[in-house]
Amino acid sequence: MRVLVVTSGVPFIRGGGEILADNLCRALSRAGHDAELISIPFKHYPPNRIPDHILACRLLDLTEACGVRIDRVIGLRFPAYLTPHPNKTIWLLHQHRTAYELWDHRTAGDLIHYPDGPVIRDTIRQADRELIPEAKAVYTVSKNVSDRLRRFCGIAGEPLYSPPAHAAQFHGGPADGYFFFPSRVSRMKRQLLVIEGLARCREKTRVRFAGEADHPGELAACVEAIRHLKMEGRVEWLGWISEEQKRELYANCLGVIFPPEDENYGYVTLEAMLSSKPVITCSDSGGPLEFVVDRQTGLVADPTPESLGQAMDALWVDRRSAAAMGEAGRARYEDLKISWEHAVEKLLC
Amino acid sequence: MLKINWFSPLPPARSGIAQNYTMQVLPALARYYEVVLWTDQDQVAPEVQRLAHVARYAPDAPPWREINDGTISIYHLGNQPDLHGGIWQVCMCQPGIVVLHDLRLHDFFFTFWVRHRQDRASYLAALERWYGEAGRRAGEAFCGGGISPESMAQKFPLTREALRGALGGITHSSRALAELKETPACPIIALNHPYAAAGESRYRQWLTVRKAAPHPPYRLVVFGYLSRNRRLEAVLEALAGIPEREQIRLDVCGQLWDKGHIRTQIERLGLSSLVKLLGFLPESLVEQELSTADLAINLRYPSMGEASGSQLQFWDYGLPTLVTRTGWYASLPEGTAAFVRPEHEVEDIQTHLRAFLNDPGAFRAMGERGRQSLENNNDPEKYVDALARFAAEVLRLSPRVSARALARRIGSDLTEWLPSAASPYLLERASQEIYTIFEGRRRE
Repeated sequence: MRVLVVTSGVPFIRGGGEILADNLCRALSRAGHDAELISIPFKHYPPNRIPDHILACRLLDLTEACGVRIDRVIGLRFPAYLTPHPNKTIWLLHQHRTAYELWDHRTAGDLIHYPDGPVIRDTIRQADRELIPEAKAVYTVSKNVSDRLRRFCGIAGEPLYSPPAHAAQFHGGPADGYFFFPSRVSRMKRQLLVIEGLARCREKTRVRFAGEADHPGELAACVEAIRHLKMEGRVEWLGWISEEQKRELYANCLGVIFPPEDENYGYVTLEAMLSSKPVITCSDSGGPLEFVVDRQTGLVADPTPESLGQAMDALWVDRRSAAAMGEAGRARYEDLKISWEHAVEKLLC
Repeated sequence: MLKINWFSPLPPARSGIAQNYTMQVLPALARYYEVVLWTDQDQVAPEVQRLAHVARYAPDAPPWREINDGTISIYHLGNQPDLHGGIWQVCMCQPGIVVLHDLRLHDFFFTFWVRHRQDRASYLAALERWYGEAGRRAGEAFCGGGISPESMAQKFPLTREALRGALGGITHSSRALAELKETPACPIIALNHPYAAAGESRYRQWLTVRKAAPHPPYRLVVFGYLSRNRRLEAVLEALAGIPEREQIRLDVCGQLWDKGHIRTQIERLGLSSLVKLLGFLPESLVEQELSTADLAINLRYPSMGEASGSQLQFWDYGLPTLVTRTGWYASLPEGTAAFVRPEHEVEDIQTHLRAFLNDPGAFRAMGERGRQSLENNNDPEKYVDALARFAAEVLRLSPRVSARALARRIGSDLTEWLPSAASPYLLERASQEIYTIFEGRRRE
């Protein structure tokens, strides 16, 4: 089958969506299909440019290439998933979130600051509501994304989990004295909250952060908080790390901290589970809550520095329980039967 | 629930829209919906702040984050640039519902662009946008003093400019809108101007006071923001021309467009002992004035297409009125007002004044019929209900604003580089897809 995976992306920005798209193409190829990725550049500002991008996608003709039929299109991201095709499946990473649940978010909301923001928000919602159902089937990357799609657009989408990249290479190891928090540095991922939580800990807990910042300002805010709270000795800032380094840091940590705000899915949770590590997340973290069972595979804290600090202390002092939760997490991952083979089968059926 | 951003002149602004519209509709509106009153006025009367939250904005830098907390913005436009200029600035940036308190808005746009902002290019561009090269040329001639304001308002009302980019429009006169033939791109509805009639016992009290007053002389009133089209000069001429004038006193209440000119006219016509210029009356004196008056003169010519809150106020007091048979006024039910033909203005005013002096009771009955009409047709609760239903409808259609903007941009871009032979195919493809995106189905 000739399959096009269609997504959109911001040039020079690489995150979970890009990883998923690459892995999906590889999985399709492994399954014997002729697969290719098309990424359409997307610029979300000023808001009146967004309908331009929708139209650009709508004007693409992906029915065939050089006279040969394209059998299937799999749309991943807004607005690329609106590209028409008679045999299209949508695997929704997420919608344009600031037109939906992040519309009036105190930091992430962007459209709301523009005079034409409400009209553009309504335009995006209308396009989604009317055009997503063109697809033969609608899957989402998580129950959280499905819930939003149903809540805002009244459209049903079946959650379809995908494994992290190189899932087979994650492994457990002895717990050293640190928590690991790998993620892009951004307000939505809440590195600042973790730093503040660290300062509330009774124990001398330590956190190793890895990942690059969305904006230099995000990193500067964290560095300033570390200095202000005198946490220099308890925080290590690793920046970009290789996949191998990441797996080792997972394998040797005491636990993984991943408390984002309303995450779509969150590979970090799955990588921690594959590494047999407990995960500390928050009650409003979205995707991770589909995997972390409180006190069984990790701890679910309130999104406050105090509550996060208590959770870190709890794992820090009771390492036996921490290890047990990590093992339970690994077992839960196995039970979920998350695999690319399954994902490809569902997407092409 | 609707959360409404309400952009309107507010008391104590000397504006009929503030006093006789917003203050009439606001109690009912705030009873059912969350309302934020946005203003760039220096002062807002305490009674307004008791009805709804008042928020301030700078027209050059509106606080969009806060404004966007509302579900819809409702902009009130009329011909007073001092009061509506800031509202128009916000309205230009954010689509909402535009309530047209005047339909002929040339005067507003000219003053806003040319006088206030020294931006003649924008004024001329607006004329060209809607009336082509003829509009631009007329605008240039007007700036040079070669065309009268009245003529520009009649030929180039710029109503569509006020609705450019709007989600929807509301007028209080379907007849006046139809006469204009300025069909906007957005949905537009005509609603009866709201007015909360005073309670029956209060109304009866006013009638009693009026009947008990010693007559003659009879007291006539002219009220409101008195621009040239309020025909005060014709009223003075008519009054001066009837021998029975000594039985009449005329109170002119409101801000005059040229007080010196009117004063000179009064002296020239020998009316100094009969006519008083009282200026703008504070709200506390309005009741006294209207409850003791015998006849109100409420002429407009040329009409700017407006419905008159003042007319409803006169009816509230059961006051008989003289109105011009034009625009909204021409649609008033027969028997509720005495009509003056624009082409026989002085003659008709004199005829009505004589009829009034001969049979004041017949005119009082006319005022009472007006009051009945007010009670039947201008209930603010019904207005608010219709307004909310219209708001829900235009919000549903709001993506069309993006569609129109997108279509304009594409058309403009293609014009620059596309050979005309290729245009039909590409334009058809683009328009087809725009339609599909915004309407959710392919065009038939």
